[in-house]
Amino acid sequence: MRVLVAVKRVPFTGGKMVLAPDAMSLETKHLGFTISPHEECGVEEAVRIIEAHGGESVVLTLGPPEAVEQLRDAMALGIDRAIHLQTDGGEWDAEGTAGAIVEAIQANEAASGPFDLILFGNESADSGGFQVGLRVAHALGRPVVTGLKGMKVESASVRCEQETSDGRDVYVLPLPAVLTVKEGLNLPRYPSVPGRLRAGRKPVATSTPARPKARLETTRLVVPAGRGRRAELLGSGPSAAPAVVEMLRSIGVV
Amino acid sequence: MAPVLVLVESAEGSLADVSLQALTLARSFAGGEPLEVLQIDPDPGAAENLGDYGVVSAHIADHEGIGSFGPDAWAATVIQLADRISAGAVFAAATDRGNDIMARVGARLGLPVAVNCIAISAGSPITLTRQRWGGSLLEEALLHSPRPLVTVAMHTVAIERVAGSKQVEVLHGRADVNERDLLVRPAEHVAPPSGGVSLAEAKVVVSGGRGVGSKEGFAIIEELAGLLGAAVGCSRVVTSAGWRPHTDQVGQTGTKIAPDLYIACGISGATQHMAGCKGAKRILAINSDAEAPIMVNADYAVVGDLKEILPAISAEIRKAR
Amino acid sequence: MNPVSAVALALCLMVAIVLFSRRAILLYRLIRMGKPAKRFDDLPGRVRAEAVVVIGQSKLLQRLLPGLMHAAIFWGFLVLLPTILAAMIGIVDEHATLPWLGEQGWYALMVDVFAFLVLVGVITGFVIRKVQRPERFVGSHLGEADVILLWIAGIVVTLFLWHASRIALGLNEYPAAWAPISSWLAHSLDGALSPTVERAAVWAHVLLILSFLVYLPYSKHLHIFLAAVNVFFGRTKSRGRLEPVDFEVPAEEVRFGAATVTDLSWKQMVDTLSCTECGRCQDVCPAYNTGKELSPKLLIMALRDRLLADGPKALAAPGAKLQPLVPNAVTDNVVWDCVTCGACVRECPVGIEHIDHIVDLRRNLVMVESRFPEEAGSMLRDIDRASNPWGRSQGDRAQWAQGLDVRVLQPGEAPPDVLFWVGCAPSFDERAKKSAISTAKLLKEAGVDFAILGPREACTGDPARRMGDEYTFQKQAQQNVATLNEAKVTKIITTCPHCFNTIGSEYADFGGRYEVIHHTKFLAGLVREGKLKTLAGDRKITYHDSCYLARHNDVIDEPRELVAASGQAVEMPRNRERTFCCGAGGARMFMEEKRGRPINEERVREAAGTGADTLAVGCPFCTVMLDDGVRETGAKLQVIDLATLLSEAVERRRQSDQGSVRS
Repeated sequence: MRVLVAVKRVPFTGGKMVLAPDAMSLETKHLGFTISPHEECGVEEAVRIIEAHGGESVVLTLGPPEAVEQLRDAMALGIDRAIHLQTDGGEWDAEGTAGAIVEAIQANEAASGPFDLILFGNESADSGGFQVGLRVAHALGRPVVTGLKGMKVESASVRCEQETSDGRDVYVLPLPAVLTVKEGLNLPRYPSVPGRLRAGRKPVATSTPARPKARLETTRLVVPAGRGRRAELLGSGPSAAPAVVEMLRSIGVV
Repeated sequence: MAPVLVLVESAEGSLADVSLQALTLARSFAGGEPLEVLQIDPDPGAAENLGDYGVVSAHIADHEGIGSFGPDAWAATVIQLADRISAGAVFAAATDRGNDIMARVGARLGLPVAVNCIAISAGSPITLTRQRWGGSLLEEALLHSPRPLVTVAMHTVAIERVAGSKQVEVLHGRADVNERDLLVRPAEHVAPPSGGVSLAEAKVVVSGGRGVGSKEGFAIIEELAGLLGAAVGCSRVVTSAGWRPHTDQVGQTGTKIAPDLYIACGISGATQHMAGCKGAKRILAINSDAEAPIMVNADYAVVGDLKEILPAISAEIRKAR
Repeated sequence: MNPVSAVALALCLMVAIVLFSRRAILLYRLIRMGKPAKRFDDLPGRVRAEAVVVIGQSKLLQRLLPGLMHAAIFWGFLVLLPTILAAMIGIVDEHATLPWLGEQGWYALMVDVFAFLVLVGVITGFVIRKVQRPERFVGSHLGEADVILLWIAGIVVTLFLWHASRIALGLNEYPAAWAPISSWLAHSLDGALSPTVERAAVWAHVLLILSFLVYLPYSKHLHIFLAAVNVFFGRTKSRGRLEPVDFEVPAEEVRFGAATVTDLSWKQMVDTLSCTECGRCQDVCPAYNTGKELSPKLLIMALRDRLLADGPKALAAPGAKLQPLVPNAVTDNVVWDCVTCGACVRECPVGIEHIDHIVDLRRNLVMVESRFPEEAGSMLRDIDRASNPWGRSQGDRAQWAQGLDVRVLQPGEAPPDVLFWVGCAPSFDERAKKSAISTAKLLKEAGVDFAILGPREACTGDPARRMGDEYTFQKQAQQNVATLNEAKVTKIITTCPHCFNTIGSEYADFGGRYEVIHHTKFLAGLVREGKLKTLAGDRKITYHDSCYLARHNDVIDEPRELVAASGQAVEMPRNRERTFCCGAGGARMFMEEKRGRPINEERVREAAGTGADTLAVGCPFCTVMLDDGVRETGAKLQVIDLATLLSEAVERRRQSDQGSVRS
């Protein structure tokens, strides 16, 4: 079995947004980086699938040179090899990202055989485009289901559970398929240090795809106002109840 | 005239609020162009009210398998309709389903999709503002597309009705989907485990700490949670006292949550607890200690005895219904 | 000269020596199999430890009755050593004795007195074990101890009988009056029996000793050899420093803590073999005393048993697959219950360093098996990704200092006289921030030239290290040392004892050598120098010694100076080096306390019992844990950091001075 999981390097923001001087990205001077949360579960799932079925797992990312750190993190969990589509650090839009990924997948499959399963995160923590996985699936002509919280792979099909407002919908897809997953699918293992040391020696295939013109073109990032939390005192004691309910109504909870 | 097509969802017979919000934004984008909707649920009940939101025509798709239409089938249907009415733009609410269907539409049409928008203006190119980081950051962008595909971030656009609404024309049309489009569809449905709303996914969480006083004291927390359709959470003090199971615990060593509203009752708000609920869009703190650490991290606060305050809030909510 | 006796003795000696040696050699080979440990520094300190702890029995004498009991037996043993030789000489030739020493009256007196003391000691030992029955013996092999005590009694009794019968027979080379007890016994002996008694007693005496010798390496009495060795090789300086893992060696050779017995270092092996099952460690362990599974004594005993079971297998077949220590010898719960407070290490009279065992077990569990309490995983990831254990934004790290006009040291700037290392908790925790704010204000008032690093201050990595994640810790250490060295910092003060311990004792292994002072010590110095003037109030204050201050680093008196400057002091029963942990150490701050009673509540009850209204602390973790404890128990105590108390005292003095100026 061959499984590919796609990841993205995102900053670990811890809740406060500070923009770089050009307002086109976050100020990352004091930030650490990580694999986007949904995808961490994808990586763990990929490792588990290969542990259960045998075969090979590959991790792929479109990102700056530093993104190799995230590839090594994924390989520390047990992924066998990596593909690094290197950019200069600027953000690519969803269409462009999907296009580059499709090309890389086609090249890899031509050389090493098809991927039974391709896993994406449902959306990336930062840009949240919700579409890369779906676009890649369409371009490859493979069925795709999104937002999965449960997955069981058989030899020729995969049974997936998607969370809805009232429980879960179960899909059964034939392989090869594309799936997008959500955090909660599993609990990613903590990488062992021997795993990290081994990951340093696993192969990373690097290429530099040409960046297409973005059709969704970012002009500026803005920190929304009112993020500072100074508690507005609604009242004291039970007499504050009407004020509370008014607030609940205003935010759509009641 | 190029109409704007909006995908609407309904829940329990009435249109979802988020769809009405999407309609509002679509209408402002459309300027004077006609607004037409496609109901992407097999439940045609709520079409009549759509005139209040400026809708001219409501399309309902007919197909024997419509009850189990998967996202591909809906995407195909959307495209057919959009082509048929020569829609100039397609909008939807940014629910999981909405984003899913629209992304497939974009992939099939080879067009960009702007997800989680909170503002959008027609023009050449179109300008829009969309959410990043779950709403913690905004992105202003230009959309270069002959037929903009847009999903509207939930609960960011205030619903507006139009004055002097007209009658909506309800049109049925056959959804012409092929085998391939029907491949991806739910095979079965699993009901949620009984026991209320799941903590990790709940939009509203009512949480109790030391101030609740005892296991039995959580009854008022559960009551309020029930009224709000909320999950019940708790702080570390509570689980170590054995009042609630560890699965209810919010915090660094419990569950990390990101609800729209987090109501923290009798919780002092130490760092480790805040680490679990810092993702909440809004926090209401109810505490007898006006200097409790949480007071600096909450959006709203009520000072006093939660044993009196919570029942009062619950009573007020019941009155409002 | 009796040739038959001589031959018989020689035979017995040979048998005893052979049997003893076989076992001793096995133990030696086991210890040699142990992984390396660097314990040859500070020779003067080690010699001093031998003198004070071993010869002086200092740790044992902390509990007066058992201490005196053991001192009697131990010193008696030392004094009586030559009598073994004398007895063997006496077997061969009843008229001969030790050259010179055997004729000294003063030595005979010493022998009589100390042999008597040993007997008293043994009886006391039995009284303690059978009548008092202290809790610390729960889990120990009491039967074995009884046998050993009886054996000792037998040796001493036969010695008395022998000396008495020799005196009765007139064989003594010293004036009989010098041996009052033996003389008195001699009078009670039936003259006719004396020769028989003399032979019987001396043979019994020597046979008891030789058989005891053979028994020694099979029993916990082995400590009479190994304790002195173990104490010698214990830590003398930097007691809070853990040995780093060397990641530079080839990947297959990296020692990730201890998975099986063969991973233990030689020092750890000697630790386990030195244990006498006395239970003093168990008595002071905060985990054990709040109903957790961990008992430091049972831990060491379990490791010893596993070493003796698996060690020989490993010697016979190197590379043989051995059973993992966790969960077979030691359960996961035991490994994670520990708060690394060091109370056990401090109490142990034979120098066992239990924390090293716990941490090595943790290192394997965390770094190789990824097996640890789930809730701690996010702490480890957050330290790695966000540089603080709560995943907060580093950009916010200096927020506590807003409005205080505190200098944030920028890259390239000249360093201040003193770098104020704030720490993660005082930077981000609402309750712990108060100590940082008070400290900053006091430093400014005293005119100290200081600065903070702000967002460039990353977590020291202490919680990761105590959890066993040495990899994450070393990443943090290297990062922080680079920052500090680039900034040319030489002097650091910090409010957090964990930062204090890590930067002061542990960063040296990574190229970071700085003078690190705890804020209480620094502030006490400012008060002494008159740069801060105080007026004590009427708070009744009890001070909680933090483990990483008092026990691991000997900072005990200066915080008390600050208490005295602020109000009236009242001490808790468990104070100073014998302080009782707040429960946050060993990364337990980031773990759930699911079993037993909460440690922090236990400590709060002790504090409330003093009648104080204020609970003073010098540590942000203690602040949070004890404040939680106060809320949980409803105690009428206010938990305040010493810096804040000092602020109050300074303000009180200012008001008073203004008042007196006006009037």
